[in-house]
Amino acid sequence: MSKPNDFLNDFHWLMDVLRSIDVGLVILDKEFRIEVWNSFMQNHSVLRPEDVLNQVIFEQFPELPEAWFRRKAQSVFDLQISAFTTWEQRPYLFRFQNYRPITSLADFMYQNCTLIPLKNATGDVEHICLIIYDVTEVAVNRIQIQAANAKLHELSRTDGLTSLLNRKTWEMELDEEYRRFSRYHHSTSLIMFDIDHFKAINDNYGHPAGDEVIRETARILKENLREIDIAGRYGGEEFAVVLVNTNAEGAQTVAERIRTQVAASTVFYEDLSMNYTISLGIAELSSSMSDKTQWIDCADKALYQAKHGGRNNSVIFLGS
Amino acid sequence: MPNLKIDEIHRDAMQEITNVAMGQAGDKLARLLDTFVILSIPHIDIMRPSDIVMALQAVDSRDSVSGVCQGFIGGGISGEAMLLFNDTSFTDLAKLMNYDDELDQQAERELLMDATNVLFGACLNGIAEQIDVSFSFGPPLVLGQHRKFSEIFNTENAKWENALVTEINYQLENYDVNCDLLIIMTEESLDLLFKKLDYLLEA
Repeated sequence: MSKPNDFLNDFHWLMDVLRSIDVGLVILDKEFRIEVWNSFMQNHSVLRPEDVLNQVIFEQFPELPEAWFRRKAQSVFDLQISAFTTWEQRPYLFRFQNYRPITSLADFMYQNCTLIPLKNATGDVEHICLIIYDVTEVAVNRIQIQAANAKLHELSRTDGLTSLLNRKTWEMELDEEYRRFSRYHHSTSLIMFDIDHFKAINDNYGHPAGDEVIRETARILKENLREIDIAGRYGGEEFAVVLVNTNAEGAQTVAERIRTQVAASTVFYEDLSMNYTISLGIAELSSSMSDKTQWIDCADKALYQAKHGGRNNSVIFLGS
Repeated sequence: MPNLKIDEIHRDAMQEITNVAMGQAGDKLARLLDTFVILSIPHIDIMRPSDIVMALQAVDSRDSVSGVCQGFIGGGISGEAMLLFNDTSFTDLAKLMNYDDELDQQAERELLMDATNVLFGACLNGIAEQIDVSFSFGPPLVLGQHRKFSEIFNTENAKWENALVTEINYQLENYDVNCDLLIIMTEESLDLLFKKLDYLLEA
């Protein structure tokens, strides 16, 4: 049996621990008035207990989303179970500075929160305790990993020189479009094109100059496309675009626009200036094409005709 | 390592405890959502990681699902609770929980967490109370949204061999909401758990 003195000591220790523990502790009554405000909360909010006690929490902290918080708290009061929220749901409940204002990458403290029911002597829940955990380090690391993964994903899909889709990804997208066509039979067209006499550009001016020409071509291509179009670098100097919801005539309008812009552009590399042209083949997808490879073949045939027709022009595939 | 087994007596006892806890959880959920909750008979077995997918009722291995898990530990018993929603459940669940906003990824995450809070809290506390332990809970973690189950739950890299899995299927009357609650207790917990069950059976 412990003496009253021991009990008082224990109680004081406990209070000391609660006051100085490095998590936020707030006790709220049913009207959301603050009844306990520990030193973590005081230090981070720069509000003393006498500033906030008996005040409604929403008035003190307008950043706390009231409707949302009430709904969470209601389930704790009514069902007598804990509720959790994590930084991934809501980065913070209270906008506090993070612990390392100098070296951290975060602008604020990321918080996980737990709401626990506090029963009174008769077993009813008239108060809830809000516990705030600082999870800034974990959150920042996770966000950085996610960003790195997104970057890797992007890199694995695109071509480094042009930022267009690489061939593998483009072919997958082409496959998707082919399958959509089999279901919906909307008009959809493919343009394949390449740079005329590209080998000569490389031989005469060097490969870095050739790269510059490829980059410029990709830039002009991208300028002339809509968000939904699927453009990729098919091979060295070969490009391929799927124009969704576009028939052959519409595709030729786009092709001609790209062709004239390329023909009118001049590429500067070091002290060189280069003019060049492209030839384009167009094939609208039809039900008679048995697979996507045949679709590519048709556009390729049209491209071949464009080359034989003197280059710097575009040709629509009109059946074999 | 021999395959662990659970005997019929312990399985029955565990089923009884889970029934009671689920009833409480279902009652709380029904009150929160104001609709009738249909519970399945809990399916209890010792499983290996690769068995879990076969135990699921609400999801097919090809379906796209969203899942949340939460760790619990207390009195020598530990494990994780896992809640898996079939993706077709979201629209109706949002209606039920009075989410009027457009259902973007963020709102869905909220929904998942809210449903998780209610189901895990009520069910696990119910079990804990009956076997006279009290659990501490870690923060819930969204395992993944709109993924295949095999992407959410990687069975190949699992570091455990056997665990006691309790599977409960929840459906809501007149709504297209179908979810699976799994309570997975570690192999190390089982000796103690079975002792607790024996004690209950003697009483």
